[in-house]
Amino acid sequence: MDKLLTLTALRRVIQLTAFVFFVYGAMIFTTFYTGDKLTQSLPALSCAYDMKGGDFCSLIPLQHQMDHRVSSIFTQGEKVLPALMGTLITLGTVAVLILILNKAFCGWLCPLGFFQDVFTMIGTKLGLTQLGSLSREAVNKIRPIKWFIFLFLVLILPLLTGIGFLGHEWGNPYCSICPSRIMTTAMGGDMSQIYISQASWGYFALSLIADLMFGLMVALALFVRQPFCRICPMLPMQTLFKKIGLLRLVKNGDSHCDSCGNCVKACPMDIYEIQDSTEHKNITHADCTLCGRCVEFCPHDGVMNLKYGPVTLLTSSKESFKKRIKIDKWWKE
Amino acid sequence: MKKGLSALFLASSLWGYGEGVIYWAPHMSHGGGHSQGKHGGHGMGEVTMLHAMNLDGNGSVTLITPDLSKDDLNLTDTALTLPKATIGGYYALVLTHRSENQVDSAIRYLSQQGRPSKISPTKLTALPKTDLEIVPDPLHREHDRYTASKSYHFVLRLHNHPLANTTVFLETRNTPAQSVITDAEGKFTVTLPNDFKNVQIGRSENKPSEFLLTTQHREGDTLYKNTLTMPYSLNPNDYWQSQPYGAGAIFIGFLGGLFFYRRHKKNQGVSRG
Ligand code: SF4
Ligand code: SF4
Ligand code: SF4
Repeated sequence: MDKLLTLTALRRVIQLTAFVFFVYGAMIFTTFYTGDKLTQSLPALSCAYDMKGGDFCSLIPLQHQMDHRVSSIFTQGEKVLPALMGTLITLGTVAVLILILNKAFCGWLCPLGFFQDVFTMIGTKLGLTQLGSLSREAVNKIRPIKWFIFLFLVLILPLLTGIGFLGHEWGNPYCSICPSRIMTTAMGGDMSQIYISQASWGYFALSLIADLMFGLMVALALFVRQPFCRICPMLPMQTLFKKIGLLRLVKNGDSHCDSCGNCVKACPMDIYEIQDSTEHKNITHADCTLCGRCVEFCPHDGVMNLKYGPVTLLTSSKESFKKRIKIDKWWKE
Repeated sequence: MKKGLSALFLASSLWGYGEGVIYWAPHMSHGGGHSQGKHGGHGMGEVTMLHAMNLDGNGSVTLITPDLSKDDLNLTDTALTLPKATIGGYYALVLTHRSENQVDSAIRYLSQQGRPSKISPTKLTALPKTDLEIVPDPLHREHDRYTASKSYHFVLRLHNHPLANTTVFLETRNTPAQSVITDAEGKFTVTLPNDFKNVQIGRSENKPSEFLLTTQHREGDTLYKNTLTMPYSLNPNDYWQSQPYGAGAIFIGFLGGLFFYRRHKKNQGVSRG
């Protein structure tokens, strides 16, 4: 029984509940109408293409707004503020959601994050050799990709489409390659999003990338933690507001932390920076999903802390570290 | 007797699209009338003018707005020009024609842009509009508009109660009527035919077609008839999108991942060895 009482176990229960709500929510609580959704600005990949879902992510309105509204500044001489209003509202909603939960949307609520976690659990149980941490060099090479995807696929290409420089297929190019679109619809029994399009070269390329990337993500997730999250355009977006988040990771490591690297080994996003010594500092990194594993796996009292406003929710300790290591061994057996 | 009537009804339906019933049809002749717009995302585009087909004599027209208030509108001959929408969302257009011993009605749902209403469109479909009513369950909208080769659910209601065991006909401009019978809860499901002609590549290159659901029920001396018309789009997966190739590409991606796994295992072996 003791085995079940870890932060990770609690997180799995919450992730599963959130998955059911975000992927099937419209069947239970709402209908599939946009107007009925809980929010259209979730800072995690809950998909608008999933008609059974109770919610959807902020990337689709952002792409549409770039294509249809912001572009009107250039095409019709529309005033800047009205043209940006929709985008500001979307960003405002994201900011509010980040204020409440910060990046925990990723580690605790995102359906695609959980989907990948499930495959990692399956891979572990199948006895596949897990990759553990990626090297620092690999991490540094991968990190800029998410910014590139965010800037180009979510903002710039849709804007250029709206202005008229690009064909219609570039109006929401990120959605066209998003693995959450394929995953959430397929989980609801709708296979229509799995396709290769021959409508034009652009459509062809995007649909091919989407399918290849989805298959790759599933296979990688069997032995790499959170493979897609590392390039997810949701992270840059959350980074914009991460400083206002009430929930955060605080390190108080000057006296005790000997940079043993346990936290980095535990971190599913391979954030090497968290082992650097600091005192009383918000160390929530751009890639952090606030999963709290670094707190669970830090062997020193009071060094790693998950805080909500002034309240400490969880703090690292020798005791809980020992217990956590045992449970980890049991799980990986 | 009932079967005989149905057969007669079927025969009359085969005569031509919507023969013998009143129904709503969008005004097709001028370019913007029923175009879907270049943006493939939402709804079925804005319709500004409709025709009350087969209406003989006077009919009353009610427009139910997204906030569920009702406006009476006037037909010019059989044409109806919609007033400019102030509220955005889903509208129901209801046409009723009463004669001795017969009540005919036709319903169509439309989307209009404007300030969004705070009321769910499921309330609009749930609201009783005619004595006999084919109700979308739910109404398919937004990114999930009615599409060929897909199945959709409806409920048949009489005086706001489900009507079981009753024949409903589905027909389109290119496919003759097929019948379906409502279940014990008045529910039925239809699959929209893939019957588009002169298909061009690209969703926005093809105009939507129309489907028509018709039904009738006799209660005492009164015969009730109801129709529902809605546009439907072609399904790209029937034409320029291939699902088997998509599944194949996913499989190749998966194999790529397994290749990385083998490399990783080899490296591990080396570093350990
Ligand atoms: S496809 Fe991806 S980015 Fe687009 S709405 Fe779905 S989850 Fe969001
Ligand atoms: S980073 Fe991962 S968990 Fe976060 S939104 Fe993207 S897919 Fe979901
Ligand atoms: S830094 Fe800690 S909380 Fe953030 S992702 Fe890594 S392990 Fe999770």
